[in-house]
Amino acid sequence: MCGCQLNRRSLLLGGGVAAAALHTGAAHARVRPKDMVPLVGPGFRPTDRDEQGLWKEMDRVEEEIAGSNLLITDPKLTGYLQNLIGTVGGPAAKDFRIYLARIPDFNAMMFPSGFAVIFTGLLLRMRNEAQLAGVIAHEAGHFLRRHMIRSWRDQRRKTDILAIGSMLAGVGGAGAGVYLGDYVQLAQLGAILSLFQYSRAMEAEADAMGAQLIADTGYPPIEMANIWQQLIGEADASARYRGKRRRRGSIFDTHPSEGSRMVDLRASAAEITVPGKVYDAQRARYLATIGSIRPMLLDDQVKLNDPGASQYLIETLAQDGWNGLLRFYEGEVWRLRNRTGDEARAAQSYAAAVAYPDAPADAWRWHGIALMKAGRMAEAKQAFTRYLTMKPDAPDAAWVRQMAG
Amino acid sequence: MVKRSLAAVLAASVALCGCVQTRQFADVQFTPPQGNYKLLVLRPDVTVGSLTTGGMVEPRADWTDQARKSIVDALRAQQSARGGNVTIIERRNQLPGVTAEELAEVERLNYVVDQSIVLHKYLGDYLPTKRGKGLDWTLGQSAVNLGQKTGYDYALFLHAEDQVASGGRIALGVIGLAGCFIGFCAPNVGGSSQLDYASLVDLKTGEVVWFNVVQAGSQVPGIKFGDLRTPEGATQMVERLLGRMKPGRAVREQQAREKR
Repeated sequence: MCGCQLNRRSLLLGGGVAAAALHTGAAHARVRPKDMVPLVGPGFRPTDRDEQGLWKEMDRVEEEIAGSNLLITDPKLTGYLQNLIGTVGGPAAKDFRIYLARIPDFNAMMFPSGFAVIFTGLLLRMRNEAQLAGVIAHEAGHFLRRHMIRSWRDQRRKTDILAIGSMLAGVGGAGAGVYLGDYVQLAQLGAILSLFQYSRAMEAEADAMGAQLIADTGYPPIEMANIWQQLIGEADASARYRGKRRRRGSIFDTHPSEGSRMVDLRASAAEITVPGKVYDAQRARYLATIGSIRPMLLDDQVKLNDPGASQYLIETLAQDGWNGLLRFYEGEVWRLRNRTGDEARAAQSYAAAVAYPDAPADAWRWHGIALMKAGRMAEAKQAFTRYLTMKPDAPDAAWVRQMAG
Repeated sequence: MVKRSLAAVLAASVALCGCVQTRQFADVQFTPPQGNYKLLVLRPDVTVGSLTTGGMVEPRADWTDQARKSIVDALRAQQSARGGNVTIIERRNQLPGVTAEELAEVERLNYVVDQSIVLHKYLGDYLPTKRGKGLDWTLGQSAVNLGQKTGYDYALFLHAEDQVASGGRIALGVIGLAGCFIGFCAPNVGGSSQLDYASLVDLKTGEVVWFNVVQAGSQVPGIKFGDLRTPEGATQMVERLLGRMKPGRAVREQQAREKR
């Protein structure tokens, strides 16, 4: 129960502030891709004072990120990403810079001055080039729609109004002999909530713009909706393993909920898909490019100690076909989880892995250990020998050689 | 954005009042550089912004450029008056014989060491093992290597940020002041403020030999205690920050004994 007395005069005075505060929280209508006109052209340089200031700050940030030792600098991969943003980046395509950071999380971000950072966790989750292009086009959309400076200005405007409003409420209230502190607090909450809402609106814009950009380039736009379906599945699986429920959206979120993004993207994809036009998700080209780092991507994920998510991810990737690498890491998920029965599950996965020609050396090693534990020494020795042939300089080569007899 | 966080912590640590404060620490054996020394200043980190009505800081590119130039000029004048030979670099790839990666490593190491100094010397989390030892931190071999490769005696790291109250912010303070006459007094909404810090590293030993923080600010918008945009303001800041380097305790005691 509130200890303050709200009389009629204070209600009238505070009403305006409260109305502003309550004007938030309403759900957003879907942003239509065709309304998303790029707001910048090629070679854009800021001319407004506040935007120039923002770009100046970004200079140092980019120098720091470009020199980070978390970056993957393999020219094949960086060239591929640069080429991709140069294709789906709209009018600013040739102005973007893109950096790949080795962080096993699903994330990508665009900075105000036109450079993007994407995490390796994203490359693991994408099933084809269209999905990756969708995420990159979404980030490009933030730049093309000038979201950073627009949200900065929105924030500045709202804090200005709040500061003036609070001050006038204090001074005016004192003059009129009423206390408006409670309304000021309400207005504060309102301002904060409207900032988050603004941020979610920008994300919806970037989704719509991204779908349009990849569709124009010849990728099926529905793949952007598929990303969210996969992400929801992963979050559910991760939560289920931990005996929890997946986190649902709240009014303090900067991004719309995964579910609403998926539904909106599906509708947008249906709207912009041109009947009869040939779309290609470029799965083969994607896998050929990231193939060299896929073992690292899987290794980083499996070591996050999130078996629910890891298992879901591997099974999702395997929808495009099982192989030795995926089977081996499936085994690793079980082995590291180490619940009752997991040892047998892992052994089965290792056995399945070595049946494929692309089985990694470590699959033979663990297959050998599983056979040895089961008392099948002769087969185990064969597996160890295979391991040593593939990886003669392995750090544990001496031990394995002894096992192999 | 990591740089900002250290500045924010420092700003919070220095008492909020309308004044200018400095607080320096030095290695016990520290003697301020004099005579013919070679000083390397690594990427002075200068930002000048406008404090909006609502209290946000809007970075200003033109003011920042102006301030950086003024600070660099003032720094050169001050150090050459002491006999120092100063090189100021703006980009990591500008130092001959040292790769951008090597320089980045030294900068990042210095940054975390500075964080540790701030935590244990300014924020009250004092370490009993360092009591009475003055400033007892080192960048180790990487700084020594930098010195050997380049021939510099000292490296100086400098951070300066200035927030200038906008017209709207000043007006807000005026309304707050006017309110005093009818019983709602809030003139102290917070105005211009400046925060500068610097650390000096001896490139022969790798040790951080001297550290100083200057905080200048006022709670009442419209009242200023220095403006980095002007040459006078920049000279004043460089003087406040680096002008009165005190020798370390052991050196001061030695000097006192010699006087007696």
